[in-house]
Amino acid sequence: MSVPIDLSALPSARVAASGRRGTSLLIHAAVFIVGLVVICAALGPAIAPGSPDTQRLLVGDALPSAEFWAGTDLLGRDVLSRTIVGARTALVGPIIVAAGAFAIATLLGLLAGYLGGLVDTVVMRWVDFMFALPGPLVAIVVVGVVGGGYWTAVAVLVALFVPADTRIVRSAVLAQRPLPYIEAARTLGISKARILFVHILPNVLPIVCAYVVLDFAFALVNLAGLSFLGLGVQPGTADWGRMLFENRNILFSNPVALLLPALMIILTAGSINLIGDWVYERFSAQ
Amino acid sequence: MIDSAQPAAGEFLLDVRRLSISAVTGGERRAITVGTDLRVAKGETVGIVGESGSGKSMTAKAIVRLLPANVSASGEVHFGGRDLLALTERELREIRGSRISLLFQDPFTMLNPLLKCGMHIEEVLPRTPVLRTGRQRMAEVQRRLAEVGITDADVAHRLPFQLSGGMGQRVALAAALARDPELLIADEPSTALDVTTQAEILKLLARVQGQRGMSMILITHDLRLAFSSCDRVYVLYAGSLLEVGGAGEIEREPFHPYTLGLLLSEPPAAKRVPRLVAIRGSVASADAVAGSCSFAPRCDWARESCRSARPPLAETEPGRFTACIRQGEIRAEMQAMRRRAFENGAAAAMVASADTAPLVRVTGVGKIFEGRRGRHVHALKEASIEIHPGESVGLVGESGSGKTTLGRCVVGLETPSAGAIEIGGITAADYAALSPAQRAQVRRTVQMVFQDPYSTLNPRHSVRRCLLEALRMAGGTAPTDEQVVALLREVGLPETYIGRRPAALSGGERQRVAIARALAVRPKILVCDEPVSSLDVSVQAQILNLFKRLQEQLGLSYLFITHDLAVVRQVAERVYVLYLGEIVEHGATEEVMTRPQHPYTRRLLESIPHSAAAGAP
Amino acid sequence: MSRGGLIRYFLRRFAMAVPLLLIISFGVFALIHAAPGDPVRALLGTRPARPETIAAIRERFNLDDPFLVQYGKWLWRVLHGDLGRAIRGDQLITRAIGDRLGLTIYLTLYSTAIILGLGIALGAMAAFRRGSRLDRIVVMLGVFGVSSPSFVTGIFLLYFFGVVLGLFPTFGAGHGFLDRAWHLTLPALALALSVMAIVVKITRASVIEELGKDYVAFGRARGLGSARIIFAYLLRNALIPVVTAAGLVIVGVVAGAIYVEVTFALPGLGSLIVDAVQNRDIPMIQGTTLFLSAFVIVVHLLIDIVYVLIDPRIRYGRVEA
Repeated sequence: MSVPIDLSALPSARVAASGRRGTSLLIHAAVFIVGLVVICAALGPAIAPGSPDTQRLLVGDALPSAEFWAGTDLLGRDVLSRTIVGARTALVGPIIVAAGAFAIATLLGLLAGYLGGLVDTVVMRWVDFMFALPGPLVAIVVVGVVGGGYWTAVAVLVALFVPADTRIVRSAVLAQRPLPYIEAARTLGISKARILFVHILPNVLPIVCAYVVLDFAFALVNLAGLSFLGLGVQPGTADWGRMLFENRNILFSNPVALLLPALMIILTAGSINLIGDWVYERFSAQ
Repeated sequence: MIDSAQPAAGEFLLDVRRLSISAVTGGERRAITVGTDLRVAKGETVGIVGESGSGKSMTAKAIVRLLPANVSASGEVHFGGRDLLALTERELREIRGSRISLLFQDPFTMLNPLLKCGMHIEEVLPRTPVLRTGRQRMAEVQRRLAEVGITDADVAHRLPFQLSGGMGQRVALAAALARDPELLIADEPSTALDVTTQAEILKLLARVQGQRGMSMILITHDLRLAFSSCDRVYVLYAGSLLEVGGAGEIEREPFHPYTLGLLLSEPPAAKRVPRLVAIRGSVASADAVAGSCSFAPRCDWARESCRSARPPLAETEPGRFTACIRQGEIRAEMQAMRRRAFENGAAAAMVASADTAPLVRVTGVGKIFEGRRGRHVHALKEASIEIHPGESVGLVGESGSGKTTLGRCVVGLETPSAGAIEIGGITAADYAALSPAQRAQVRRTVQMVFQDPYSTLNPRHSVRRCLLEALRMAGGTAPTDEQVVALLREVGLPETYIGRRPAALSGGERQRVAIARALAVRPKILVCDEPVSSLDVSVQAQILNLFKRLQEQLGLSYLFITHDLAVVRQVAERVYVLYLGEIVEHGATEEVMTRPQHPYTRRLLESIPHSAAAGAP
Repeated sequence: MSRGGLIRYFLRRFAMAVPLLLIISFGVFALIHAAPGDPVRALLGTRPARPETIAAIRERFNLDDPFLVQYGKWLWRVLHGDLGRAIRGDQLITRAIGDRLGLTIYLTLYSTAIILGLGIALGAMAAFRRGSRLDRIVVMLGVFGVSSPSFVTGIFLLYFFGVVLGLFPTFGAGHGFLDRAWHLTLPALALALSVMAIVVKITRASVIEELGKDYVAFGRARGLGSARIIFAYLLRNALIPVVTAAGLVIVGVVAGAIYVEVTFALPGLGSLIVDAVQNRDIPMIQGTTLFLSAFVIVVHLLIDIVYVLIDPRIRYGRVEA
């Protein structure tokens, strides 16, 4: 379980991908996988072979067969259909988390980084406080106690991701602020707002975009985790994390019911991480 | 310095033949140097002079086989009877440090930040019976530190960041010499240091070299420095050697248009010239000029024959080599050009009428920066300067003198802790306290040009966008493209540049755009903070000429901030000398430079490298 | 920084941790009222709602007092080491934590050893052999480690090594030191692989950065041997960013431990918390969360202290240019 890493605190860029040719192939594969998942999320029920919810209690947990390519789970539901439909919750929530955290953090980071002084102190004290908290634990406890399932989890994750992203945006802004082109703008008398949004933001945006992608992957993983503990989506929803929760005891009878959603989590999050790293490198190299 | 006569063949300590270096980036191979030859005799100091992209630093690294992973070298490097390029890494390790050593530019990146200074020396000392115990080794470390002029025993126990630049460089030198090498390759050893410290370090190098009978290769971009410190000089440009010869001989009469151009590009410290002879264009990369004379695109004497093949180095006189195939023909013209450049030196400088009210008046300004935990830095103490309309004033000092701070206070980027600033009659010490109308007025009076051309423009904005925005701040009607083009023309850039982004511009071109941006609001005075220090020498002259032209055409004043007295002489009528936040001397530039009163001013003037040959400016 | 300055720094950091803990304790306390519905109902759990029981609950949890007084009384008890009793089974929370703490600590330490040992070694090796096959494999491993949360890795490890190959037990914690090690290997590995990815990434980036620096070239130019360059020059400098990332590592390990304990059915602190959350056992949630948060904060403090000690540039104080 992890929180977004501040790569700008890392020494340098151009490290994630090694060989040039190898990366292109990998990135293509990553984009392909993500595309596949997006299609599943958009068209879910339409392309699933059967209904994800139909229970067949007499069949129970069975290994893959011609009828059910991924077998059935404890309640006799078609694992493959559930996996395909589960792509929806795997993408929708994380998108909102990433977009929300990004928007808030960019604003906070811009203001804290450029204005400095009291604004900066207040924002950074809050960020430091949030960093001191064990994030995943807080998520578990708050979602568990307050209830509300999926959307509470989304809200909590936004709140937990904003501090790390704010720090990243702020460092990027601080790196730009002392540069001559900003000082020239100040000398010309250009307003603070204009400097922030027309000069600094465009130069900070590329790096920030790379982080948004990484945030997305982390949100995916964290949401699945909460569902795995029974805290995320409503019971019965077709969701990869939830499927891990439901099927953890049938490892011996139909392991596919467990391994398939687990694999989807890794592949999707991994592909997004690869794309995020690639985006980061492309923009750092400029 | 020994006699510049060519040492007899076979006596060479280092004999480099046909060294070619190339790098592989992103799957493509590009050339860094092409077939360079180099010879160093015992006890001799050889200079390699080149601008950026010449390949001089890579050549140094190639000799000791310390090239980065994607860079490779071919050719032969004969040293002590063996070819270094053919040895194994283990064999090379025997040679590095103990027979050939390297010294880099910046002491703060050259020394291990977590290792105590003394340890840098101790860790390479051999384990002999005399240097067995900790105490014996420490004594040896102190002895070697004393050799480089460090007598404070405490220094050995400090970390590099706790030292000043000059001290750090001394420690680095002691570390480089710890195994008593026969040859030291010093790559821009003084460039990162203050002017006065530079002179000290160079003197130190010369002394140490003489005492040890060591040979030295001095790599630098500064021709003047090479002439004053070296016996023989190699001139490198875009990966090719263009001229080789004795330092004095080359200085008296260069045999290659590039060397001549470089010589003339450096602003003479001895007199003010109406126009510097600048080399047009910018420094090329080795690949761009493959298959022709590397200097041809920028050379006024270039013919078809120069562009058809790469000319070899030919010995035109004993010990003098040049790669200019037309040298014999154009010799007289080159000599004439040189004479002209210096003869016209007595042009009268503009003298402003002292009775008009000053445009900018700075009175008793002080600035204190608060460090962490109450550590104050007194950047400026009671500085007072005046700038009259139409006159240009120089602000000269080294790092820590407060010159940049003063300039920034005038422009409003800093607020002085004490004192008053008056700009065009408006009290402007605290820009925030002014009314918006007054502030706009002040900003239209004074603008700034910054040092680093590579970060002075917003990388995401095109030239047009940048200048339109600046024109908008001039007030009045909405700016048009025609105005942008007019600005570009003023700074000598073609109309086609309007859509370009900074990444597509060279350093000199970027600085021109930055100047255009500052001129957009039609200021009366430009504060220029080291505007040419980060540019190649051959480009510096272009920009200085631009400043002079603008001065004449637009009646601009300058507050010209620099550490380089020679530059000040070309641009400013009056000069203020700053030392540790105080103005220690001021007056007419000619006066201050020929008859300096204050000891610091004298030291600054003495630090300028003197020429090797008599009769050269 | 002088010795006095160093001590003052520690005290300041320590002092900053206290308000942090107070805020967390306040938040944890407020959970009772954050839960939807009547706090009494929540605290009743599955017991029948008889008037005596309700009165006893109101009494024990001071529900008739104003909010801040409730907090004050609760905090007072906590500071005296009384975390109350769980709703389910009525056991002493401190006892429950104490019983399970050992296992979680064992798991965490085991995991951290793998993370740091293997992570730093792989990161450094990949950096030295940059662009080689080893490097590419390590980088890929890194990406997937970050993408595969500990419970997912756990499931795969469980299946392949536990069920298919039968090398390791699939549940339970074992008895005795070695037996426990055998039982905890798969969980520790699952936990380590996710967090290790961060360490590998940072170590690799850091070493690559140092490799390109002038002081390494200058050291080689003076004839220093590889061993000295690697240890006294490269690693000493490269590991500093790794230490600063240690905070992330700790959070990752603590969070991962929770998930791993659930996956492998280990009776540790993590599964205690999850059980409590799933059963809405408020006092248990409060007690365990407070404990774990305090633990994480203390560890952060220790890491800060270590960081100041190992980077002499901070110790001796940078002179502001």
